[in-house]
Amino acid sequence: MSVSSETAVGGLGRAALEALLARQGEGSIDAATRFDALARFEELPVRSALRGGRNWKHDLEKLDLSGVATFDDARASAPLPALPPAAASAGVTIERFSLARNRHRDAFERRFGRAVDTRDDKFASLALAFADDGVFIDVPPGVILEQPLVIDYVAGAAALFPYTLVALGAGSKASVFERLRTLDGAPLFCGIAELLLDERAELTYTIDQRAGQTTRLLMTRRATLGADAQLHVACAELGGLHAVSRLRATALGPGGRVETVALFFSGGSQHVDIETETVHAAGNTQSATIVRSAGTGRGQGRYLGNIKILAQAHGADASLRDDALLLSKGAHIDSVPALEIAANDVRAFHGATIGAISEEELFYAQTRGIARADAERMIALGFFEPALSRFPTEALRAELRVVLEAKLAPPSSA
Amino acid sequence: MSERGLRISNLRASVDGNEILKGIDLAVGPGTVHALMGPNGSGKSTLAFSVAGHPSYLVSEGSATLDGEELLGLAPDKRAKAGLFLSFQYPAAIPGVSVANFIRTARQAVHPGDLTPAKFRALIFEQLDVLDMDAAFLSRYVNDGFSGGEKKRLEMLQLAMLAPKYAILDETDSGLDIDALGAVGASIDALRKSDAGKDMGFLIITHYPRILQHVTADHVHIMLDGRIVRSGGPELANEIEREGYDGIREQVAASVG
Repeated sequence: MSVSSETAVGGLGRAALEALLARQGEGSIDAATRFDALARFEELPVRSALRGGRNWKHDLEKLDLSGVATFDDARASAPLPALPPAAASAGVTIERFSLARNRHRDAFERRFGRAVDTRDDKFASLALAFADDGVFIDVPPGVILEQPLVIDYVAGAAALFPYTLVALGAGSKASVFERLRTLDGAPLFCGIAELLLDERAELTYTIDQRAGQTTRLLMTRRATLGADAQLHVACAELGGLHAVSRLRATALGPGGRVETVALFFSGGSQHVDIETETVHAAGNTQSATIVRSAGTGRGQGRYLGNIKILAQAHGADASLRDDALLLSKGAHIDSVPALEIAANDVRAFHGATIGAISEEELFYAQTRGIARADAERMIALGFFEPALSRFPTEALRAELRVVLEAKLAPPSSA
Repeated sequence: MSERGLRISNLRASVDGNEILKGIDLAVGPGTVHALMGPNGSGKSTLAFSVAGHPSYLVSEGSATLDGEELLGLAPDKRAKAGLFLSFQYPAAIPGVSVANFIRTARQAVHPGDLTPAKFRALIFEQLDVLDMDAAFLSRYVNDGFSGGEKKRLEMLQLAMLAPKYAILDETDSGLDIDALGAVGASIDALRKSDAGKDMGFLIITHYPRILQHVTADHVHIMLDGRIVRSGGPELANEIEREGYDGIREQVAASVG
């Protein structure tokens, strides 16, 4: 156990927040904002879309965080991504979130809180109240970063509340990897990511979540896009006991394009809740959402996908494709894709499938000499491929395939 | 027992409780080509699926041996490892699995470790050439979005790459245009002339005699209502062309009556 009994404060109430502030100061979020957020967390109900039901093993309404410690002496802050020298001289800022307001006040205040609205959001309020780690990335207009910037968040014996703020100036381009990892027994990740793209900016944002089997995750990510900006989000939720991962991208300016790719795989007694929403708030905006999910063992999953096309979004073009694969009788996946369209001249498509591996595919592979269990693994891995192939870098794709294969392996050979 | 060949005797099989095969006897020797012809619904595909081990086809009686090894009762992959190949009339699509990966996995399963990666590559490119296909085909997903002709070419590519002892080709000619049919015919021809394929036995299941203009059958069998009613040499195919299946059916009825 790495938690010191003198400094650890259990539970996520006022006392815990006071202890956190006494220990590390306000950081970039002042105390009043934090206490307001905490009050909202305590008062707001769990939104109906995230409520239990259908015998979900994990019910957010019954979530008990009283035993969760908020800091941990053993913990090191997330190492900041290495910045190529050329990027530094071009004025790119990468700063520890807690120092961002002090060191880059104008840039920080122009960006902070612009994409996330925590006023009616219980778990985003909790993340805001305790935000204790994180990274601020600010890319000036026109600067192109070729190398991905990698942010590693590692939770230990205490909860981790990461705040990631990424701002891209007009015509700039960057790729950011957010990796969530845990040490043994980590209880909670509760975080926020704000992604702000000015006009013509292009951001690739990759979420690679491989938390351990004890960890709950309550992550809220919000993006806004200016005119002709492009956002590609690829999100792999492969770990955790109960992972709630919510993403909303709003195309505010005409010509904005959003691609959202999510894959999740719940095995054992994992529960994964993924929610994506793309808002078309301007004309000629485009979006594509591709979701591939699978469940094995007694894994549970839920996908809520929403495309919202506002009345002014003439010529919007949106597609949402969601496919789920059930690999065991005990697995359960719910999929709820939805379209809300208030404009007339738009194109919108959504389709969803759910099912087991087809016997015809298995038989076909078996007639080629491939044993049934191997055929199942091959077909299941192939099922993820349309989502996997949208992740950046072959190295990451190869790593994710290995993780997926390990989850597919029968317990006897695991 | 140890007699070589794909030997089917008194095979009876049913689907959903309906008996489709009513006692089939057929022996395909190494290096020979047999054509099994018959109208739709006569049970030709049922024979193919029953011998390959499809779980929906219930064999109630009979046997099917491959060079002496009983196939019935084995899982489909074990039958393939014994040396059987089935070319499907409607091959399944496996999205996300590339042709190259699928064939490599299958080759490794039926002939473990017998080809270095370089030799595997050389062989597959040679076969692509015979089938008049380009290398981009290898990175496509198995049968996913394939045209009818592409599906049948992939079946032939697998046949050549897996080098079985006996191959059942189920309606490989159906739905093919002239070019695709020519490519399929050339592929079988090339295979039969190769070292790997010269001892291969073929059971070509077809409705129409036209594939037999590309591949010469040593023996022709006619199947009606779950039974083989006539067997003969290549001239039997011409008779079907002349008389049609109705003519054959009348002859059979007359001889029985």
